Amino acid sequence: MRLAFRNASGAAKLSINLSEAGCSSFLNPNPSFINTCPIHHHISPRNAVVSNPSRCHTLSGAETHAPPFSALMDKQFEAFRQHLEESGSLRDRFRAVATQIEATNRNINSFLLLIHQSRPMPEVLEKVNSEIDVLKRLFNQLAEIARECPGQYYRYHGNWKSETQAVVSLLAFLHWLETGTLLGHAEAEQKLGLDKSEFRIDVEDYLIGICFMANDLPRYVVNRVTAGDYDCPRKVMKFLTDLHAAFRMLNLRNDFLRKKFDGMKYDQRKVEEVYYDVKIRGLAVDGDTMVEGTEGQQ
Amino acid sequence: MLKPSRSLYKLCSVMLSSHTPNRPSEAATKRARTMTTDSSSPNPIEAAFSGYADYLNQLNDKRERVVKASRDITINSKKVIFEVHRISKHNKEKVLEKANKNLAAVVDQHISRLVKELNGTDFWKLRRAYSPGIQEYVEAATFYNFCRTGSLLTLDEMNAALLPLSDPFSKPLKINVLDYLLGLADLTGELMRLAIVRLSDGELEFAGKICRFAQEIHRHMTVLAPNMDGDTDMTFKMDTMLQSVMKIENACYTVHVRGSENIPLLGSMDPSYPMMLPDLE
Repeated sequence: MRLAFRNASGAAKLSINLSEAGCSSFLNPNPSFINTCPIHHHISPRNAVVSNPSRCHTLSGAETHAPPFSALMDKQFEAFRQHLEESGSLRDRFRAVATQIEATNRNINSFLLLIHQSRPMPEVLEKVNSEIDVLKRLFNQLAEIARECPGQYYRYHGNWKSETQAVVSLLAFLHWLETGTLLGHAEAEQKLGLDKSEFRIDVEDYLIGICFMANDLPRYVVNRVTAGDYDCPRKVMKFLTDLHAAFRMLNLRNDFLRKKFDGMKYDQRKVEEVYYDVKIRGLAVDGDTMVEGTEGQQ
Repeated sequence: MLKPSRSLYKLCSVMLSSHTPNRPSEAATKRARTMTTDSSSPNPIEAAFSGYADYLNQLNDKRERVVKASRDITINSKKVIFEVHRISKHNKEKVLEKANKNLAAVVDQHISRLVKELNGTDFWKLRRAYSPGIQEYVEAATFYNFCRTGSLLTLDEMNAALLPLSDPFSKPLKINVLDYLLGLADLTGELMRLAIVRLSDGELEFAGKICRFAQEIHRHMTVLAPNMDGDTDMTFKMDTMLQSVMKIENACYTVHVRGSENIPLLGSMDPSYPMMLPDLE
């Protein structure tokens, strides 16, 4: 009794009765066949109604009756319409939150760009942190909407995917500025207040966000060196090399993440070039004698 | 600078490639892992990344198996569709019986694999990997069912049929509305082929029924198409569907108007009259 449509085949014997034109040899119900097939015990009443042979039409006759399948189809498609409308409105709500996340990202990014002008870190961080609270709130909203459709995270994932990647890249950059270490996946979730939530950050989104962050590092290094922080290239190079080595542990598919990862080596090379420039001119300081936060030192 | 990390990468890739679940790789994996930690210069990032690597490997392996199952479902569902197309006035029972068997085999052999793979995971995560196969299966099952019963096999009926494949304790695999609708959109193409061949075989009643069925599907789909989770496939399929429906309608029209003289001949079982509608095929 595995297939429902097998169940219906008993009724089928009646329903395909199009025999008014006289092709009766195959159209008559075939009782011997029904008896030999063990599957036909359950003929669903729905199909029995549908297969009313008296409803048969002829091509030449005027077609006044509704087709026999229409009641059943109407019912199913009406249910689909409701289902798709509900999912459509969920999608719109996800999109609305994602748009706000995007706007917040732009704010954070504009504050973070002050880094390139060698503004003091505490000032930048202070501005950014209030915005991170906004992000937290927005991600909680996403989680709340997602609770309405349990088990369908990935159905709607596309709606917040790229925004989440950007969030990860900003958070990771901030985290690196503060601590000099890589923001882990779990830490990123924690920063967004998602650590206890059902709603998680997809690992691939996290990894793509980290790649985005690596893209920002060459510019940072260039501007730090211009501002006189000659130890910065060495630190960034060490970090990027470690990061690149770690990324090579992953077996990637030919997808977007792979493309971003392939691009990372150019960031690495750019930083190496800056390091070389600084080193060959004897500007680089040995070891960690340089104190952090030496903005504007010449 | 790069040297140690390169050898490290090799070790890791050995470790990762042996991670397919079919291989008895537990020992090898462990050895590779301890070697990794021994030989590495302290790279704090790598510890975290080995977790991501495991996750990605498992996901990719699973995706690969799902894609394979999906391809098998596609191939065998196609065979069912071809089987149903061999239908004619005289062999209906035999053909449908065989198609039914093949369809059941698709479920037993291939969809069951898919269900096993997806058991307990988010069906939507890997949807792109299995969607083509499921669509083809929907097409085959609805096509078969229409020829058998003259009615539309509903999504609920299909999902009820798949229920026994799932582990009773976990969430059963359900064909989602989107895949069902995309499969139905393809169904009209098959209906068109069937209608043309049936018409040229003189089964005007049946062709008329196919025509109304295809029209109904198309009509219902026009309401739903814009709302399909942003699925761009659907807009394309809607155009194709309208083309198919119109082909059936035009064929029916041709028979209705021009072929009216031939209808008595076609309707009769007398083999001495040749078929008069070669241009319809």
